[in-house]
Amino acid sequence: MKKFNLSNFKEWFISHDLFGLLGSDRYKSLKRRIVILEVALSILPLLIVVTISYFWFQQILKDDYRNQLKWDIENTGQSIETFLNERLSFLRFLTLSYKYDELSDYKKLSNVFYAFKREFPGIVDIGIIDDNGIQIAYAGPYKLTGVDYSNQNWFNEVVIRSSNISDVYMGYRKIPHFSIAVKKDLPEKEGFWIIRATIDMETLKKYVYALNIGEKDDSFIINKDGILQTDTRFHGKALNKYIETPIPSNEQTLVKECDIKVHGHQICGYSPIKNTDWFLITVIRSTPYARIPGIFRNELFFIIIFSILLNTFITTVIAQAIVNKIKQTDMEREEAIASCEHAGKMASIGRLASGVAHEINNPLAIINEKAGLMKDILESSDDLQKNKYKFLSLLNGIFDSITRARTITHRLLGFSRRMDLSHDLFDLNEAIKEVVSFIDKEIQFRNINLVLNLSPELPRIETDKGQLQQVILNIINNAIDAVEEDGRIEVITEMRDNNKIRIIISDNGIGIPKDKIKHIFEPFYTTKEKGKGTGLGLSISYGIIQKLGGNISVESEVGKGTTFSIDMPLKYEAI
Amino acid sequence: MSQIKVLLVDDEIEFVSALAERLQMRNYIVNTASNGLEAMALFHKSPPDVVILDLRIPGMNGIEILKSIKTFDPSIEVIILTGHGDIESVEQGMKSGAFEYIMKPIDIGELTAKIDSAMEKRRKSLT
Repeated sequence: MKKFNLSNFKEWFISHDLFGLLGSDRYKSLKRRIVILEVALSILPLLIVVTISYFWFQQILKDDYRNQLKWDIENTGQSIETFLNERLSFLRFLTLSYKYDELSDYKKLSNVFYAFKREFPGIVDIGIIDDNGIQIAYAGPYKLTGVDYSNQNWFNEVVIRSSNISDVYMGYRKIPHFSIAVKKDLPEKEGFWIIRATIDMETLKKYVYALNIGEKDDSFIINKDGILQTDTRFHGKALNKYIETPIPSNEQTLVKECDIKVHGHQICGYSPIKNTDWFLITVIRSTPYARIPGIFRNELFFIIIFSILLNTFITTVIAQAIVNKIKQTDMEREEAIASCEHAGKMASIGRLASGVAHEINNPLAIINEKAGLMKDILESSDDLQKNKYKFLSLLNGIFDSITRARTITHRLLGFSRRMDLSHDLFDLNEAIKEVVSFIDKEIQFRNINLVLNLSPELPRIETDKGQLQQVILNIINNAIDAVEEDGRIEVITEMRDNNKIRIIISDNGIGIPKDKIKHIFEPFYTTKEKGKGTGLGLSISYGIIQKLGGNISVESEVGKGTTFSIDMPLKYEAI
Repeated sequence: MSQIKVLLVDDEIEFVSALAERLQMRNYIVNTASNGLEAMALFHKSPPDVVILDLRIPGMNGIEILKSIKTFDPSIEVIILTGHGDIESVEQGMKSGAFEYIMKPIDIGELTAKIDSAMEKRRKSLT
């Protein structure tokens, strides 16, 4: 298979066959090309702008969504923090409001517990622990009085830090829960006591799940060791290790792209919860921000289709108008060429007529004077015998002039243009001499040195004599215009390849500049002053030589002169 | 009334000689020249009253001859002789100071009338 590359593409695009440039329906093809080009040119920028703005819009929506998500998890984090702080504050308030002895009493503790539970939902139980870690009083649904907590982490923490919010653990109750504990030093003795409340994980879950997220998304709490504190949708039950994303170390809320092997591309949000070792984590796998661009995309699609249709329609109308205009101009141009060609013919006929008038008027003037002189003599004298020789000499002069005029009229007949090509068998050198004799006067008058270098061995040529002579006359006329006075024009004939005759007409005139020489056979191209030339002479000459099966070429150098070469076949054959 | 001196300049010798003879029969003094140089030489040797000049003659531009005649002596009148309807050069000649123009073949009566009126103009300008 042919490989598709740029040059092939060019070939395809400019291919004449494809667009039928040379065919009769070239206007249709022109219209087609204008429409294709115009539509492509106008649609391309539209597509680029739309594509760029589509992705730009998508990015904005995504950024917007991420900001929204960040704001949401930050808020949720703060809600959880407030939830915990409220309970911590209340416990602290209890340690300040009641004495150890008062709360050690079961009844008092129960009253406090129920009030607490009423005001702050989520409290499971409440207990008082002495400095040995023994729970000396307890209010709640379980029987946990006398339990020893001294070996538990939270107990050690609260001894050191005076308050503690524990990680979630199963503990004695075998359900996930966490505790809030506050230490109170005893003023009288060396010692302390601890008030501790356990909080149901379900309450915390409500906050976590309150994040407005989709079905594929997940949100949960982990501790600093990566242990899940709440149940998750996709990442396992509470108290399992969360392994998928590394936990960020900074204390800032963060939303970022995170690639996870199992679930692929997603957005992760982290928000640390203050005063605890917890992080709120959101993993977004759904793409809510892509929904709106979807709608946007459909609208864009319709806009583009509409634009293309409208554009194609308008361009087609415009292209039709342009092509019609071109068609009309072409027709007018063809008509103009035809009429100019006619005008050119008329002009050369005029030039010929003017020359002929001069040539014929001269012998007529001589006849006029000689006859007039004879009449004058006859009028002044009756002696015919005396003037006999004078009269004979005058009459001879008159006959000479008549012969001269007759030659001119004969030559003129030879020049008469025929519309159809004639097949004349003639001596080319003689034909050239005839042409030259016709413009002899002009050459003499301008003191031009015209040299004929005609090969005597030329065979007779069969072609249209009149038309060939017209071409030669035209080129010599151009040469006369090109040379200064005292210029030189040379006409050479020679055999070429046994079946062609070459005619070379060269002058030492002003020459033709390189940039103009390629135009000289084009119709209407003229370097002569306005009104002096029609610019058709050489184009008609070119047409004639082509029609006669010959070839015409030109070489020129500015300041040195110009050489025209005409190659003519010995025998004209219809093309 | 003295005879009028005419200089006839044309390259057609047959034409010039016959016309000169006819003018001489009509009592003009006629000199002939067949080219520019000859004309200028004769012109200096024996200045004519009226010049009959063909603008298209070999060797020199007819208009140049006309101008040098008018420079030499503006009172000398020039009648342009033209063999074909070359209106442009006739117009140019008239602008350059020619008195009249006449087309070939000429009518002898017309020519002598023009020579006479040219002479009349010359006489007026001389007195």
